[in-house]
Amino acid sequence: MTVDNPYKVRNTYVTGYSGSAHVMMIEATGLTYRYGDFVAVDDISFSVAEGEILGFLGPNGAGKSTTVKMLTGQLVPARGVATVLGTDVSRHPKAVHERIGVCFEEKNLYPRMTVRENLQFFADLFDRSVDVDELIRKVDLEKWASERAEALSKGMQQRVMVARALVNDPDVLFLDEPTSGLDPVSAEQIREIIRAEKTRGKTVFLTTHNMAEADALSDRVAFINEGRIVALDTPENLKLRLGRRLLRVRTRAGDDFAEEVLPLDDDATPDRMGALLRAGGIATVHTLEATLEEVFIQLTGRKL
Amino acid sequence: MRRACVAAIARKDVRMAMRNNLVLLALVSGVLFSLVYYALPSATDETYHLSVYDEGASALFSSLPPQLSRGAAFSFVSSEEALHEAVYAGDAIAGIVIPATFDEVVAAGGVPSLSLVVADELSTGQAEALSFLVATLAGYDVYGTLPVPLATEVIGADEAGFVPMREQSVPFYLLMALMMEMWTIATLVVEESAAGTMRALLVTPARPSDVLTAKTLVGGVYAVGVVFVILLLTRSVRGDLVALFLGIVLGALLAVSLGLLLGSLTENITGSYMYVSIPLIVLLLPGLLLFIPDISHDAVRAIPTYYLVDAFGQVLNRGAGIADVWRSYLAIACLDVVFFVGGIAAIRRRYR
Ligand SMILES: Nc1ncnc2c1ncn2[C@@H]1O[C@H](COP(=O)(O)OP(=O)(O)O)[C@@H](O)[C@H]1O
Ligand SMILES: [Mg+2]
Repeated sequence: MTVDNPYKVRNTYVTGYSGSAHVMMIEATGLTYRYGDFVAVDDISFSVAEGEILGFLGPNGAGKSTTVKMLTGQLVPARGVATVLGTDVSRHPKAVHERIGVCFEEKNLYPRMTVRENLQFFADLFDRSVDVDELIRKVDLEKWASERAEALSKGMQQRVMVARALVNDPDVLFLDEPTSGLDPVSAEQIREIIRAEKTRGKTVFLTTHNMAEADALSDRVAFINEGRIVALDTPENLKLRLGRRLLRVRTRAGDDFAEEVLPLDDDATPDRMGALLRAGGIATVHTLEATLEEVFIQLTGRKL
Repeated sequence: MRRACVAAIARKDVRMAMRNNLVLLALVSGVLFSLVYYALPSATDETYHLSVYDEGASALFSSLPPQLSRGAAFSFVSSEEALHEAVYAGDAIAGIVIPATFDEVVAAGGVPSLSLVVADELSTGQAEALSFLVATLAGYDVYGTLPVPLATEVIGADEAGFVPMREQSVPFYLLMALMMEMWTIATLVVEESAAGTMRALLVTPARPSDVLTAKTLVGGVYAVGVVFVILLLTRSVRGDLVALFLGIVLGALLAVSLGLLLGSLTENITGSYMYVSIPLIVLLLPGLLLFIPDISHDAVRAIPTYYLVDAFGQVLNRGAGIADVWRSYLAIACLDVVFFVGGIAAIRRRYR
């Protein structure tokens, strides 16, 4: 487990969501979307509280992007209502657009404009003063500010995309697979930016098919499969609910290793464990908690 | 509509257009085409040139009757050799030698005589006809006998024969520039779709109508600008300027609205070349046919740009005003609206 992740501490507080005490920044009620006859998103409901990061975890084609598009007013739901910042997105998309930031799954910068021009242009669309240089610093691209977007690496372009989503200092941030296809270093840089926004009290809707990322960043995780939410809880609860509480003990006797698996909740386990410890020769002891991926497979029968 | 959004998008579009080679090519080609103007025959070639050698100082032919002032030019030379040279070189179709005694003979009440030098390109019949005309003209000049009044009727649909090719071709350059603008606008719209940036724009305070308004402004100003450069390059700012300017604005709107419509039909840049180039060729046809005046124009009347080219020709070359071309302008204005609504509907449909 990552000890250096301060958000794990916050999870305990998030776990206790009652809903009523918190302002709901995003509320989806019965959202449904069809492409022709194909139901891409099927009657999903959830809410995201202020300052929360909701990880929307699911395999390709699960309906994550379609959900983001409905939440951000790019698609009108066939049924259901998406409310962001208390406003019905379909009815008043522009009121919502003033206060949200969207980072798209596909790269969509102006390739022949520089990093600064790309950001300044979007800043100009909002009725507020924006310090573009500060934004460029935030995503660590000072050296590249005058380069055309097309000249940047994938990871740098993605940081420009994130910076663009932040241009209006949005209260709610929608990030559609922001680290997908990036090298580990670039991906971690993006995660750092997301954490920083959360620290500033911003609400984040993050889609991903990377379970480690969902686990590390999210206050709560929604599993989405074939257009439906199959589970929604904190990463800990999900892992506990469906994970196995087991201890795996490996012992060494000469050149040979032996392995024993002990159920944590069994009455016989303390004695057996004590006996192994007294006998000496224990090489390793592991708890066999489930990963989010294993939980997902258990719930849906498919891999992420 | 938000003015700040429109302004920001327009500024961005100008920047993008400047960095797109195709767009620059469209600008340059519109201007380059207008240089064809100088390669075409100009008005002077439609005039009958006659060379005159006046041995005395008869002052015959020195002031021509007004009827001849546009159709014929008499140039005086100082020797008979010079006269022969001018005829031989084809600078004049004929030369007239006025003998030194011409005035004396007239004063004495006698009958003076002239001699006519013609090039061998003229048939004998033509030479005889020409000599008779010169004799009549001289008689008119000397004795002041009024010719029999003559009503002239020009028959045949091709009244364009009176306007030199060069001037006739100007509407084509204007059309060319405007239609290139159609390409530019279509490219700006397709680029926005292809790069996915349209989606990014539409989750900000900018609305689809802001995006289209900005592109209309940029494209419209650009198109009108290029057209004026061409008018200046070909020194063609003439006629009813209000009618001319209105025609240019309507034409620019036609180009822009068609560009918006065509650009909204695809998200793929390569695909857009087909969507744009085929209509482009068709729309240029009415202009190209100006160079082939013998071809019947009836089928061409189905092409919207025919009315534009026709109106430009009327205004620039036939002294027409709004009263003469309003039907064409109305037709173009209606098409502007149709294409505009179509363009906005196409964008709306694509982006919800
Ligand atoms: N424009 C579209 N037309 C038809 N089907 C689509 C379209 N966009 C997405 N889909 C389908 O809808 C489903 C959900 O897509 P999407 O929301 O993009 O999934 P995800 O983002 O989770 O990968 C997929 O099966 C996808 O093939
Ligand atoms: Mg997706």
